[in-house]
Amino acid sequence: VLVLVRSPLPRLRALLQRCWGRLERGLWPGVFGDRSPPWGPALAVQGPALVSEGINDAGESSTEAPSLLESIVWMAAPKHRRTIEVNRCRRRHPTKLVEIKRNIDVCPECGNLKQKHVLCGYCYAKVKEETRLIRMEIYKKEGGPFNAPAVETVVLYEGEKPTEKDEGKRIIERARKRPSWFVQN
Amino acid sequence: SPIFPSGAAWARGLLSWARPERWLASGSLFPLSCIHTSTSLQKIGKWEKKNRIVYPPQLPGEPRRPAEIYHCRREIKYSNDKMWYLAKLIKGMSIDQALAQLEFSDKKGAKVIREVLLEAQEMAVRKHNVEFKSNLHIAESQTGRGRYVKRVRYHGKGMFGMMKITRCHYFVKLVEGPPPPPEPPRTGFDQAKEYVQQLRNRTLVHTL
Repeated sequence: VLVLVRSPLPRLRALLQRCWGRLERGLWPGVFGDRSPPWGPALAVQGPALVSEGINDAGESSTEAPSLLESIVWMAAPKHRRTIEVNRCRRRHPTKLVEIKRNIDVCPECGNLKQKHVLCGYCYAKVKEETRLIRMEIYKKEGGPFNAPAVETVVLYEGEKPTEKDEGKRIIERARKRPSWFVQN
Repeated sequence: SPIFPSGAAWARGLLSWARPERWLASGSLFPLSCIHTSTSLQKIGKWEKKNRIVYPPQLPGEPRRPAEIYHCRREIKYSNDKMWYLAKLIKGMSIDQALAQLEFSDKKGAKVIREVLLEAQEMAVRKHNVEFKSNLHIAESQTGRGRYVKRVRYHGKGMFGMMKITRCHYFVKLVEGPPPPPEPPRTGFDQAKEYVQQLRNRTLVHTL
C-alpha cells in the first residue's frame, strides 16, 4: 500500500527555523555570529555584534512573523508517562462506572420490563404494528396521496356496526377481532 | 559427542519411536482416529473447555455442589475497555437483575452481553441440570482482548494516522443459587481492629 505524507507547509518550516535561530541567539548571544565566544578574549568594542544583530532583526521583521504563531513552540505537553496504576485509578473511579438503574418495573399489561417514565416497549410495538395495518387500509381506500377527506375516521373490526355517533365519519374496516387494548367509544 | 547416544542405543531409540507394529495394529497404515483433523476449527479456548469437567457423584453426606455454567463469546466488535464497564456492572448480580440492567443500558456491548446471558441460561436448563432458570447468579464476568487490526485513518490536508480496530471477548460463569450478599464496606473500626491485631501478633524472633 503506497502512502503519501505531504511535507508541512514550507512557510511553517521557515518560520520554525527562524524561531529556533532566534532562540539559539537569545541563549548564546554572540556565539552565532562572526565573533569568538564572549568568555574568550573579547574586544572592548561591541560594534560588529550590534551591527550583525541589527541586520538580522531587520531581515526577520521584513518577513512578518506575528507573535501569535511563535507561541506554537510553547504548547502544553505531558512531561511523564502516566503509569497503568494511575490510569486505572482514573478509569475505575466510581463516577466513571455505569450506575445501576433503580427505575425498572414490570408492565402490568404484558409482564415485560419497562422503565417507569417510558412506555413499555412490547406494548408500544404491538400498537405500532396495528397502526401500520390500519394505515395500509387507509392507503388502499384513498388510492393516492393528498386524498385525505375532511371528516373524522373510525376503525371498525369484525362484527361491528357503525353507531349513530359515527354518522358523517369515514369508516375503515379491519378484518380481525378487536384487540383488547383498543377500546371502542 | 556426549549429547548423542552411542550407535546401538541411538538406533534402538529411533526404532522405539517409529514402532511400525503400532501402525498395523488397527488394520490400516494410517488410521484416521489417531490423527488430529482440527485444521478448519480454531483451537478451542480454555473457557469453553471448563464446561467439560465432570465431577464424581457426591456422597450422601456432602453438601450439595452448585452447578457452574461457563459461557463466552469471542471476537465481539467492541472495545475491551468499554466492555469492562458492563462486565463490572453485572458482577455478583442475579441473572434477572443483570438482564434488566442490560436491557435498559444504552451501550452497544449491553445487547451482546444480554444475548450471551440468555444463551447461557438456556444451556444451564437444558444441559447442566439446573432446575429454575432464575436461580442463577453471575459469579464471574470478565472481558478479554481480541485480535486487533491496524488500519489507516485519513485526516484532512493529506495527513493520516493509524487506527486500531478493536475486538474483545466476553466470559461469564453462572452458578446456581441466590447471589451472595455483598461485602459490607470496611469501616474505620475494622481497620483499627486489624491494626491492633497486627500489633499483637508481633513476636521476638530467634529467641526462646
